[in-house]
Amino acid sequence: MVPVTLQPRRAPQRDGLVEVDPGPPGPPGPGNTGTAQGDVLARLRDRSAQRPRFDPGLAGGLRAWLEDGAGALVARRGDDALPLHLGPRLLLGPADQNSPSRQTLALAPKRENYPSQVVTSYLVHALFRQLVTTGSVGDPLTDALDALGLHPNRAGLIRHVGRLDRRARTELRAELTDQIGHLRELTPHFAPGWLPRTDDRLAIPLAGGRVVLCGVFDLLVGAPAPGQASLCALQLTSGGPWAFARTALHYLALLETLRHGNPPFRLGLLDSAVGRYVIEDVQQEHLRAMASHLVTRLALLAGADD
Amino acid sequence: MTELVGQAGLAGLAGLPAASGLPAPSPLTVALLRPLRADHCLVSSAEIERLSAELGALVAHRPGGPFRLTDYLVRTTLWPSASPGPSSPFAWSAGTARRGIGLAAVRSLVAGTTQSPVDGVGLAVSRAISDERGGRGPISSMGQWLAGLTAAGRAAVQADAVTWATRLWSSLDWKAFDSPPVIGRDHWWDSPHSSLLAIRSRAEVRGSSTDGRGNPVSVHLVVLGGPRRAAVRSELSLVALAEALRTGDPQPPGRIVGWWPDSGHFVSLEVDQVTLSLGVATVARTVALLGASERGSGAAA
Repeated sequence: MVPVTLQPRRAPQRDGLVEVDPGPPGPPGPGNTGTAQGDVLARLRDRSAQRPRFDPGLAGGLRAWLEDGAGALVARRGDDALPLHLGPRLLLGPADQNSPSRQTLALAPKRENYPSQVVTSYLVHALFRQLVTTGSVGDPLTDALDALGLHPNRAGLIRHVGRLDRRARTELRAELTDQIGHLRELTPHFAPGWLPRTDDRLAIPLAGGRVVLCGVFDLLVGAPAPGQASLCALQLTSGGPWAFARTALHYLALLETLRHGNPPFRLGLLDSAVGRYVIEDVQQEHLRAMASHLVTRLALLAGADD
Repeated sequence: MTELVGQAGLAGLAGLPAASGLPAPSPLTVALLRPLRADHCLVSSAEIERLSAELGALVAHRPGGPFRLTDYLVRTTLWPSASPGPSSPFAWSAGTARRGIGLAAVRSLVAGTTQSPVDGVGLAVSRAISDERGGRGPISSMGQWLAGLTAAGRAAVQADAVTWATRLWSSLDWKAFDSPPVIGRDHWWDSPHSSLLAIRSRAEVRGSSTDGRGNPVSVHLVVLGGPRRAAVRSELSLVALAEALRTGDPQPPGRIVGWWPDSGHFVSLEVDQVTLSLGVATVARTVALLGASERGSGAAA
């Protein structure tokens, strides 16, 4: 399947991606039929019976390649250093983020002041999980705060939103209403038999656990099957850089390959800020390219840790 | 101690034949259910009794007791750097509720009461709330907590539990179990020699396999979180020890498998003399450290 990006005609064109107008959104109908969400579902299911077969030795080969890169990093840091947990922001972001200082590899301090885009991202992700789980969302701001309030590590974010003045809260609520509107149009309703689950965490240890590659699938459907690519992954971005979000999907596909021996066979990315999406097949070239990038980045980090 | 380290999807493990026309069992299923080695020796009942007495003697006259040892207490006592941060009093959250709800969901799936993790979690949550509101069954603090949540809060709890349950449900081939597995029942061993010592055996799935002579043995799957760590063998040996010491179970423990869903890795320990000795050593070190910290805080006071 050739990657194709769909978005409403009025949305700004970015990143030089192919844009197709799926037509004006109609009134919500029953199930997934006749809407953008129906199209997302159809593209996820398209030719799903002909799932690609991946080389059974691919996962082992990719792991060996990454182990070499991680080994060099561990050698520079020393055996007694704490395990290094690396996520997509550090591994896929601009290389100049890896400033040559030890601070780069230090644990991030607890935040109390959050940029507005980060706040929106957390809240939209919470609403996305609710939409997938129950199919409905009430007042977006209230629901998102109720959901995040159950995670102790989000207490700082909740306090931050609580300190916003009335005008900022109104703007935040309007932004969430806009984004959840797009998500309602885009997010398919997955039957329980598809095994939809949200926030599926991956943590792939390398070098005996001294380097850990981390990531989170926003939504996975399907069950892992030995020897077969059997999963679909849907990721969400709420206005962040589109190209970065697409690269991060390939990163997650690589981690899934290392976890279960096969990548997802299809990936989707939903942009709740403008209502566009892309669906694409995973190919071995994606995984090799991502592994190559990670080895290079691990080498950069090894240099930065001097 | 025979130890197997593996990873889902990367290495086929011999031991369980695939039924004709069906896909091969998952590597985790094979690692859990395959027969023990032909030369595996179960620990004798006399040796079990000796270990029981040894453990009772360990805690006699120790400060810091009573000792109710869990895998969590062992991990945080022996390897404090592995702890994510300062411990805080227990409170229900999406994270602390997902295992209990997820286990109830998998239990209903295995029993055939529900057909998917989403349905199983929905049933578990609605039952907990209706029992709480109807005053049925014992008082459940989780039921009280769930009943007080908003719809969005409950959805967040359900979302976490669905993910937890789906990972466990889809990792094992449930038809490979000869008899229905036991899902999520923790066991406690209370020392007959000292009221100061109890050891918990936490396992998410318990089934049966056979030893080298074809005799039935119990096998136990433990779902692990956090990073891979050296402490895991000690944590799993505690489960093995508690299972071996418990009386009244017709099947002696044969194998403990620890599994990390985040990475797909698993580690398997067969329950033999070496594993149980590691379990006793783990208890001894934990009790000594807990007693020392008690003495230290007493001296400071």
